[in-house]
Amino acid sequence: MAGLQDTFSDFSQRRFLIIDDFHGMQRMLRDMLRECGATRIDSAGSSQDAIKLLSSSKYDVVLCDFNLGPGKNGQQLLEEAKFRQWVGPACAWIMITAEKSLETVMGALEYLPDSYLIKPLTTALLQNRLTKIWARKRTFIDINNALGKKDYSRAIALCDQQMATDRLNAPELQRLKYQFLLAIGELAEARQLLEAVLAERDQPWAKVGLGRVLFMQGDYVAARDLLQQVINENRANIEAYDWLAKTLQQLEELEAAEQVLQRAVQLSPNSPQRQKDLGELALKLGNLDAAEKAFRKSMAVGEHSIMKTADAYVGLARVCSNKQQPEEALKTLGSMQKHFDGEQITVRAKAMEGMVYLQNNQPAKAREAAKALDALLATSGAIPEGAAGLEAAELLLNTGNKESATELLHKLVMNNHEDRKLANQVGEIFDQAGMHEEGAQLVALSRQEALELMNAGALLAQAGKLEEAVESMRNAKKLLPSNLRVLLNFAQIAISCMKQQGANEALLNETRQTLQHARSLCSDDKRLNQIDNQLNELFPKP
Amino acid sequence: MEEKDSLPDMSFFLASSVHDMKNSLSLLSNRMEHFLGELTPDSFPGYEDLSQMLYETKRVNHNLIQLLALYKVGNHLYPFDPQPFLLNDFVHEMEAQCRPLLASRLIELETSCPDDLIWYFDEELVNGVIGQAINNASQYTRDRIRLSAAQVGDMLEIRVEDNGAGYPASMLQAIESEQRGISFGSGSTGLGLYFGRTVAAMHRNKGLHGRLRLENGGCYGGGCCILQLP
Repeated sequence: MAGLQDTFSDFSQRRFLIIDDFHGMQRMLRDMLRECGATRIDSAGSSQDAIKLLSSSKYDVVLCDFNLGPGKNGQQLLEEAKFRQWVGPACAWIMITAEKSLETVMGALEYLPDSYLIKPLTTALLQNRLTKIWARKRTFIDINNALGKKDYSRAIALCDQQMATDRLNAPELQRLKYQFLLAIGELAEARQLLEAVLAERDQPWAKVGLGRVLFMQGDYVAARDLLQQVINENRANIEAYDWLAKTLQQLEELEAAEQVLQRAVQLSPNSPQRQKDLGELALKLGNLDAAEKAFRKSMAVGEHSIMKTADAYVGLARVCSNKQQPEEALKTLGSMQKHFDGEQITVRAKAMEGMVYLQNNQPAKAREAAKALDALLATSGAIPEGAAGLEAAELLLNTGNKESATELLHKLVMNNHEDRKLANQVGEIFDQAGMHEEGAQLVALSRQEALELMNAGALLAQAGKLEEAVESMRNAKKLLPSNLRVLLNFAQIAISCMKQQGANEALLNETRQTLQHARSLCSDDKRLNQIDNQLNELFPKP
Repeated sequence: MEEKDSLPDMSFFLASSVHDMKNSLSLLSNRMEHFLGELTPDSFPGYEDLSQMLYETKRVNHNLIQLLALYKVGNHLYPFDPQPFLLNDFVHEMEAQCRPLLASRLIELETSCPDDLIWYFDEELVNGVIGQAINNASQYTRDRIRLSAAQVGDMLEIRVEDNGAGYPASMLQAIESEQRGISFGSGSTGLGLYFGRTVAAMHRNKGLHGRLRLENGGCYGGGCCILQLP
């Protein structure tokens, strides 16, 4: 244990922020910190005040009450602070709660505080806890640095290294290593690790993890049975509900999936994402009332959260449109544009607006919206991604702009030729417009074309014609600017070329930019990480 | 309208006001600990009364924590998630939590725990069980309490022992017959014991589950509260 003097200087040099809407608590925490030797202490009485301080100063420790009155709660504040990088991995965030409940401890893994403290607090307890967190931060500093650089292979190697000597932190290291393995798609190895953990001890996180791996490996029946077993053992394991619902959807057991999510939102209603997922499921099943309720709840709990999702607004607009309530649907789309920025949102709002008119017998207005949308797409030049692209194509297709729609979907599929879910969604859009055959053909052709473009480069590379291969992949990259596989293949071939012929400034820059672009499309991909590291080893950044 | 519609959902009000009470009690006991730390029995004539007030405040707080936790567990709302802990840290945290009260009652706390013992448990629940056991012991001990943790067979054993007169034989008997299902509602087994047993039973591993035992004897010959976790 650290000597008293060390602990004292630990406190005196660090900057503290206390966030509590109750002045009595604020004063008490301040007194406690002073007793431990702290001198640099700020406090905030509301989430708004806290945001001002967090965004303008760097704090080493944040003591935050979960309940902060109107506005954001402590968890939402933490999410925003981490998301906007006001606090980094070095900052110790302690959440203070009156009780441990599903509501207070729920949060996505990357947005968890370093510790929860449950009232009543004592000075000694606070001091012990902080000293422990600081020791832990020192232990994990290298792993955190590797993570910051997305260098998962290094993070995994560091975990292994640490595990060999550090028995105390071994359980946490195992859990981290599992997450890193999952992040880079090393499913077999993740499974092996989890099975070894479970052989030692029944641990809920490892069982859910195994369920996740089985899901990702496509073994849905085994995943379902395991996750169901976890829930039978502990009916409050929310993570298990989420993965079970996903698994049941894959098994086409939609009603069962809806029930599972209904149960999950009863237990933990504050996740905008989960409410939205439930809304989409209910909508698919035609349960319009249930869907409306879930989408509205997603919007309400997302009000103060960076986790809010525009999908809930689009979903609600769809529900209202189906219910023949066009005004309400249009109002929702207007509200979406107030809550979210960006081109994709403008496209989605316009596309849904047109669909609302179309479904509510106002074809002239629908055509008008389609025209505006077409113009919007032409001026922006960028291909709307994912949902925005599908929604735009849906309107275009249903308002007689078959050509624009087909072109848009063609690009969308080409850029994501391995995405089966997207291909299905494209198929559905054509089905609903009564053009099943054309849909199937379009998907097949787009995929084929993407594959041919890629193969051309690969064949040239195999034949040793590296410069021509680079040129061929460069061409593919122009045609398929957001196809991850194409971008990575380009980078791979460019690296081979430079390995053989030495570095070439222009190509090196182009490769770096390509990888950066790939990163913006998909932050965690095993191959992307590997190629990135390979490039940095061969040609270290200046 | 049916009559039940006009009745409020009492469990909701109870649960939400318990939070509120816990906040107030937390401030209250904190201030008392603060004063007790500044004062001495010689300098302040009400020192013993204040110490007794702290004990009662903590007792009420433990009861509220237990009620709330049992409410959540019963409604499947409790996020039960056993995590690995270094027992040494746990023992020291318990010690820090109880130090002001025990010091003001002139009770010596002895702790014993292997340096490298790690076990899996739900910290809040186990903290609730052991915190209450120490609080109780502070009322019935003569002047010593021992908190220890050790692995015994396949189980972790956390013991709170005192050098008081021990549990009355009638109480231990009542507990025993209740466990054998002979008599229910004898009144001698309160919330605390029920909570402790529930917490113990929730901890499971490889077919084993936890247990809570009360007995007399142990290191100091007084009462022993023993929590075993698989």
